Amino acid sequence: MPIKAHSPKSPAIQLNGVSRDFFDGRQIRRVLHPVQLDFFPQEFTIVSGPSGSGKTTLLTIMALILKPSEGRVLVNGSDVTSISEDDKATLRLKNYGFVFQNAALIPALTVLENVLIATAVQGAPVTGELRRRAEAALDRLGMLEYSAQKADSLSGGQKQRAAIARALVNDPELILCDEPTSALDVESSTVVLQALKDLSGEPKAVVLVTHDPRVFPYADRLIQLENGKVSTDTGHSSKPKGSFDEKADS
Amino acid sequence: MRNSAAFKMLFHDRASALGSIAGVVAIVFLVGQQLAIFFGLIGFTSNLVDACGADIWILSKNSDNVNSSQSLPMAYRDRVAGVQGVGWVEPLVTGGGLFKTRDGNTQAVQVVGVRLPQMAGGPNRYAEGSAEALIDGEGITVDRLDLPLYGNPVRGDVFEINGKRVRIAAITKGQQGFAGSLVFTGIENAKALTGLRDDRCTSLLVKAKDGVDVPDLVRLLKHVLPRTEVFTAQSLSISTRLYYLKNTGIGTSFGFTTLIGALVGLVIIALTMYTNVLNKSRDYAMLRALGARRRDILWIVFLQSFYVAVIGILIGFTLLAGFLAGTHDTALPSYLPWTVPPVHALGTLVLCLLGSVLAMRRAVKIEPASTFR
Repeated sequence: MPIKAHSPKSPAIQLNGVSRDFFDGRQIRRVLHPVQLDFFPQEFTIVSGPSGSGKTTLLTIMALILKPSEGRVLVNGSDVTSISEDDKATLRLKNYGFVFQNAALIPALTVLENVLIATAVQGAPVTGELRRRAEAALDRLGMLEYSAQKADSLSGGQKQRAAIARALVNDPELILCDEPTSALDVESSTVVLQALKDLSGEPKAVVLVTHDPRVFPYADRLIQLENGKVSTDTGHSSKPKGSFDEKADS
Repeated sequence: MRNSAAFKMLFHDRASALGSIAGVVAIVFLVGQQLAIFFGLIGFTSNLVDACGADIWILSKNSDNVNSSQSLPMAYRDRVAGVQGVGWVEPLVTGGGLFKTRDGNTQAVQVVGVRLPQMAGGPNRYAEGSAEALIDGEGITVDRLDLPLYGNPVRGDVFEINGKRVRIAAITKGQQGFAGSLVFTGIENAKALTGLRDDRCTSLLVKAKDGVDVPDLVRLLKHVLPRTEVFTAQSLSISTRLYYLKNTGIGTSFGFTTLIGALVGLVIIALTMYTNVLNKSRDYAMLRALGARRRDILWIVFLQSFYVAVIGILIGFTLLAGFLAGTHDTALPSYLPWTVPPVHALGTLVLCLLGSVLAMRRAVKIEPASTFR
């Protein structure tokens, strides 16, 4: 499904009245109440909340992996709620970057191959240009020297940096991060968060889900969920990058 | 890239990958060696026909295999010799005999009497001695691999068949029969040993002249000798094999063991490929989240099954070649017609892919959402 390129002022992704119910075996339970959220390029949004607040549900709906029970998901203005599974997969491949908890690199592959697999998973050949892009992404994260190493030989912080490089290789407009620092020490967390923060300086919307309040200072926008509802949304940042400290303090 | 990634993902879990390959090797080797022994044994049934050098066999009426012919008048030989297109025609005598061994026991043998100097239907490979040995009136041949049955005699040793004196004049190679060891001798001696009348033989072997259409000649001979059965050598070979297949249970026996071999391999492949997919669930879920469609995951697992099949087939056929080489010219019959290995390889490939169906079904059901938990 072709999705038109966004304009810097239009949202990369919109959740219009999106909610989600689950059947727990006895009754239908609403884990995400209707939300109206827009995520813009050049914005680093942190979605936070305690366990069971609905933040992972929100993320998987944004990732087009979970279908909302109600509402619509728009990517660059196009309604993608009901497109086919294959089209959703292709859309994820072309428009999304993912950084998962524990990096989720394939241990059998080298670091470079792990980055390239994000371009080749639907069978596209790896061209010289793609390889250069993958190497550039690794270089940007300081991981080029590890490109020939097997993924399972890296430290946790290195794995996450390689995962960020993988998220960047297709030059996506939306990067979704699921607790990327939960298994990292403070030093590695700082490096990873700064790398993600830097990405939001580009025309990319970066959305990070976490329950760790230590990452809040990096956010341009903070959304807090409680019991499946948005309890706090600091709104879109109109201030220069890096000014969230004041917002968080307030 | 995706294809090489599939390969690396497969072999990252070495125990499971090697288990799958072992399954394929088991199919190739177990089934292959069973087939080789089967074809080797079944080849014994038609050994006499396959190595005779004749184009056409004439047997008594209602015969359906080379060993079932009763007797024919020797005069038929002259009638056949006069038919246009016949190059030569030779009588052959076959019959059962009891070979009295040194320790007083008896051993069932099949006596084959050939006429000199053509010696059509006679042995063509000798370990010791030569065809000239059969000129000796009481001379017989025994096969190298049957020597232990007779107490390991040497040339010149004298024995009895059906109570009549014979002398081992030559030792043959690869001349074993299914219904008993093949003992060759001159036609007159064979008649004496088997009690066949002088004016009879059990079959006539015919060689067509160069350029003559053999099936046409068969039709002509059937017309000339209506109270006989006329076969091309090839059709008699097939008919003889089919006879033993139907009447000895050899087909059922080998078919069953072959099936068991295939099933054992299939189960090993199914379990190990399934385990491999289970162990890689997180990787597949992550790939689905990145943008892999179900068919992309299916392709990866399919390719892995294909790699397992190809590697297993190569190893299995190497072992099988070793088995065939090791059993060549031994008492264990083993022979694979050239058509069997390609069919066997293709069948194994299909079995391997079938064995991976469960793994494929499991792989395509892996949900990308699990990556986010």
